[in-house]
Amino acid sequence: MMNSAEAKMTDSDDMAESNGRPLMWIILSALGIVMTAGAIAGYMAQHNAQGGGPLGMSGIVAMSVFSAIIAGLSYFVWINSKKFRASGDMLTNREKLNRNIILGCCFSGGVIGLLLAFYDINIVGSEPSALAVFSDSPIAPAIAILLAFFWAVIMPVVAWFWHKRAIDEQEASAYRDGGYYAAYTYLIGAPTWWMLWRGGIAPEPNGPAIFMIFALLWSAVWYWKKYH
Amino acid sequence: MKNQLKVLRAMRDWSQADLGERLDVSRQAVNAIETGKYDPSLPLAFKIARLFGRPIEEIFDDEFSGGKDDR
Repeated sequence: MMNSAEAKMTDSDDMAESNGRPLMWIILSALGIVMTAGAIAGYMAQHNAQGGGPLGMSGIVAMSVFSAIIAGLSYFVWINSKKFRASGDMLTNREKLNRNIILGCCFSGGVIGLLLAFYDINIVGSEPSALAVFSDSPIAPAIAILLAFFWAVIMPVVAWFWHKRAIDEQEASAYRDGGYYAAYTYLIGAPTWWMLWRGGIAPEPNGPAIFMIFALLWSAVWYWKKYH
Repeated sequence: MKNQLKVLRAMRDWSQADLGERLDVSRQAVNAIETGKYDPSLPLAFKIARLFGRPIEEIFDDEFSGGKDDR
């Protein structure tokens, strides 16, 4: 029969990765919702460009599928949010601070991305697309200065605070490993793309795409090393 | 690196979160150390040793301690 010490240890071990998976699924599902919303906007824009009017049977089917995807992903976010909140009872104070900073950054980034996509489609007049949040079309100087301020002044302060107060050495190690993988991918990948472009084999190197690959790879390795 | 952390923790009836709070690290860090996926830094190893009142080499096994002393 298991004594209380063993029972407590086993429970804790079983829950060790419990707040990592829900966090990952929440972020991926939210991204999926944004992409699907972009696809709906794109579909409707195309429909309006062709004269508008009531949607035909194919349009209704497409909208039903998109709506079902958004509903499914929203349900998934809700379920995983419950799991994530439940795991919070077992977190240390340092982990709670860490979680709150990460969620705050994700939320801020999501809101800025959606506002930029809205600006891109409604003010600049770009074609709606599922990738509108990653657009590199021109923006007003005032908005550019505001975003640059956020990125160059606010972000370093948050990052400094995160490194000094929220993360521990195991996470710092996972973060460093992510940095190595991302840096080497950049050092090898960017010049390779550039040379292939010069040889007429690849399209012109895309700065935002390179940045996104760099950031996503760094995040993926960090996540893997921290939670597995 | 193998270690006795899980056993020592169980002897005190601490959860991973309890131990993490005492060491000022996350539960994931405690789990990673216990399962040998992460080797703690020297300062953290000393902190663990002090917390359990044992020498470091009694808690952590570098897998060479049973062999010849090459000094």
